[in-house]
Amino acid sequence: MAPVLPLVLPLQPRIRLAQGLWLLSWLLVLAGGLILLCSGHLLVQLRHLGTFLAPSCQFPALPQAALVAGAVALGTGLVGVGASRASLNAALYPPWRGVLGPMLVAGTAGGGGLLVIALGLALALPGSLDEALEEGLGTALAHYKDTEVPGHCQAKRLVDELQLRYQCCGRHGYKDWFGVQWVSSRYLDPSDQDVVDRIQSNVEGLYLTDGVPFSCCNPHSPRPCLQNRLSDSYAHPLFDPRQPNQNLWAQGCHEVLLEHLQDLAGTLGSMLAVTFLLQALVLLGLRYLQTALEGLGGVIDGEGETQGYLFPGGLKDMLKTAWLQGGVACRPAPEEAPPGEAPPKEDLSEA
Amino acid sequence: MALLKVKFDQKKRVKLAQGLWLMNWFSVLAGIIIFSLGLFLKIELRKRSDVMNNSESHFVPNSLIGMGVLSCVFNSLAGKICYDALDPAKYARWKPWLKPYLAICVLFNIVLFLVALCCFLLRGSLENTLGQGLKNGMKYYRDTDTPGRCFMKKTIDMLQIEFKCCGNNGFRDWFEIQWISNRYLDFSSKEVKDRIKSNVDGRYLVDGVPFSCCNPSSPRPCIQYQITNNSAHYSYDHQTEELNLWVRGCRAALLSYYSSLMNSMGVVTLLIWLFEVTITIGLRYLQTSLDCVSNPEEPESESEGWLLEKSVPETWKAFLESVKKLGKGNQVEAEGADAGQAPEAG
Repeated sequence: MAPVLPLVLPLQPRIRLAQGLWLLSWLLVLAGGLILLCSGHLLVQLRHLGTFLAPSCQFPALPQAALVAGAVALGTGLVGVGASRASLNAALYPPWRGVLGPMLVAGTAGGGGLLVIALGLALALPGSLDEALEEGLGTALAHYKDTEVPGHCQAKRLVDELQLRYQCCGRHGYKDWFGVQWVSSRYLDPSDQDVVDRIQSNVEGLYLTDGVPFSCCNPHSPRPCLQNRLSDSYAHPLFDPRQPNQNLWAQGCHEVLLEHLQDLAGTLGSMLAVTFLLQALVLLGLRYLQTALEGLGGVIDGEGETQGYLFPGGLKDMLKTAWLQGGVACRPAPEEAPPGEAPPKEDLSEA
Repeated sequence: MALLKVKFDQKKRVKLAQGLWLMNWFSVLAGIIIFSLGLFLKIELRKRSDVMNNSESHFVPNSLIGMGVLSCVFNSLAGKICYDALDPAKYARWKPWLKPYLAICVLFNIVLFLVALCCFLLRGSLENTLGQGLKNGMKYYRDTDTPGRCFMKKTIDMLQIEFKCCGNNGFRDWFEIQWISNRYLDFSSKEVKDRIKSNVDGRYLVDGVPFSCCNPSSPRPCIQYQITNNSAHYSYDHQTEELNLWVRGCRAALLSYYSSLMNSMGVVTLLIWLFEVTITIGLRYLQTSLDCVSNPEEPESESEGWLLEKSVPETWKAFLESVKKLGKGNQVEAEGADAGQAPEAG
C-alpha cells in the first residue's frame, strides 16, 4: 500500500513545520474571533431590522451558521497552537498522541463541513433579501397609521426611526407615501369637506394625500421642511416640485437596507473563505506532523528521517482495511490479523 | 518609631518585587485607558463645539490625556526598577534615584486625585457655555445663506434628532425667534404681512417648531405648526398632548450626556488612583526593605520595611528643617535650632 502524498521530514523541516503551524494556528484563532464578532454584529442588526424583513425570510440563518463555524474554527486554531507547541517539546507530546487523531477527524468533518455550509449560505441567501424587504417594508408602511391596533402599534415609531437613521424615505422614493394612508382615521375630522371628498374619491375609501411624514425631511435642506402638498407647484412659493432633492431624502429605504445587509453578508462571506483556507492549511499541517511523529514512534527529538503522509494507503486499500478490521471485530480469527499489521511494516521498510 | 513596619525575608522581598512588576504593567494599561478616555472626551466636546460657542473649556480632557501619558512613563520606569530590584548589582545603580522618584510619585498621585475630582466638579461651566451656545445656534438657524453660518440649521436639526430634545429649555423657545428665513416667505400673502407688522422688530414669529422636534413615538402624525391653536387640529389639546414633540430642552439633554460621561470617567480615574497609591506604597516598602539589608555579604537576610522612618510629626519637623537648611546655606547652628523650636511651639 503506497501512502498518499508522502513527504520526507528530517528534524529541521519538522521543526520549521511545527513553527509555521503555530503561526498559522494563531492566525486561524484570529480569523475565527473576527467571524464571531462579525456574525454577532449582523445578528444584532437583524434584530433591529426584523420588522422590515418578511417572516419567511431565511436570511438570519447565515449569521447563525457563521457563528457556529467561527467557534469551531477558533477551537481548531487553539488545538493547532497546542499541538504544534507540544510537538517541539518531548515532555508535552505524549498526551497529545491519542487525542490528535480524533480531533483531526472532527476538525475536518465538523469544521470543514460547517464552513462550507456557511459559505454556501453566504452566496445563496442575499438573493432572497430583495423579496423579503419588498414584502416587509410594504407591510410596515401599510401599518404606519395603526398606532392603536395591537400587534402593529410600534410600526409608526419603527418606520420613523428607520427613515431618520438610514436617511431614506418610503420604499423606493417619497412618492410611495402618496399611495398609502399614513394618517390614522382617528385624527381625521369627519366634518371637514376636504377629508370627505378625498375618502369618497378613493375606491377603497382610503384617505390619500400628497404629503409625507416628518421623518422623510432632510436636515441639509436650506429651507424649513415642506411635507404637504408636494405635487402642487403653487402651494409653496419658490419651490420646484420636480426637484425636491434637498427637501426630502432622495433614496428609498429598500435600496439603502438592501445595500447595507448585502455589504455585511459579503464581508462575512469573504472572512469565511479566508478562514476555510487557513483551516485547511492548519489541518493538513497537523496531519503531516502527526504521521511524521508516529513514524518515529512518538519520540520527538529523534534525528532520523521520517515520512509524513495524508493517508496510509489509497481509498480502496483503506476501505479494505476497515472492512477486514470490522470482520476481525465480529469474528475473531487469527489469520485475519497479519494483513492489518503488514501495511505499516511496508511503510517503514520503504522509508 | 517607624510607621507601619513589616518584616521581610528574602522570599517575601522577591514576591513583593514580582508582584509590583506585574502591577506596574497593569498600571501602564490603566494609563493607556485614562489617555483614551481623555481623548474620547476631547473628541466629543469638539464634535459639538458649534453649539457651545466654540468657547468650551478643554481642561478636563487635556489633563486626563496628560495624566495618562505620565502614568505610562512612571509606571514603566517603576516596572524596570522592580525588575532590577532582585539583582543587587543592578539595584545599586537605581539606589540614589529612588527617594526623589518616590517623592515624584507621591506628587503624581495627588495630582491624579485632583484631576479625578475635577471630572465631577466642572459641569457648572459647561452648563453656561451650552446655554449661550444653543441660544446663538437657534438664532442662526435660518441663516442658511450666510457663509460661516450656513451649517447651523443642519447641526441643530441633527442635534435635536440625536439627543431627542427641542429648543434650549423647551419647544417654546422656537416661538420667540424667527427660524424661517425671509427668502422663503411669500410677502404677497396677507397673513405673512400681518404677522410681521404685529411684531415690534418686524420678525416673522410663528407658534411652530422645526421638524426635528417631532417625537416618533407619537400615535398621530406630527403637529409642527399652530401648536397652541387647539381648533386648528382635530381632536387636539396642546395642554395635555405630551407625545407630539420632544419635551426635554437640548441644554438639559446635552448636559446630562456630558455629566454622565465625566462622572464615569471620574469613577474610573479614582479606581486607577487607588491602584497607583497601592503601587507607590509597595514600592516604598521594597525600597526601605532593600536599603535595610545592611550586610552586603548576606543578601538573603531578613530586613524591615516601613512607610516612614519616624512618626508623622517627627518626619514633618525633619522635612521643614531640611527645607530651611536648603534656604539658608551658611547659617550658624544656633539660629537653625531656634527656627526649629519655633514651629514646635507654634
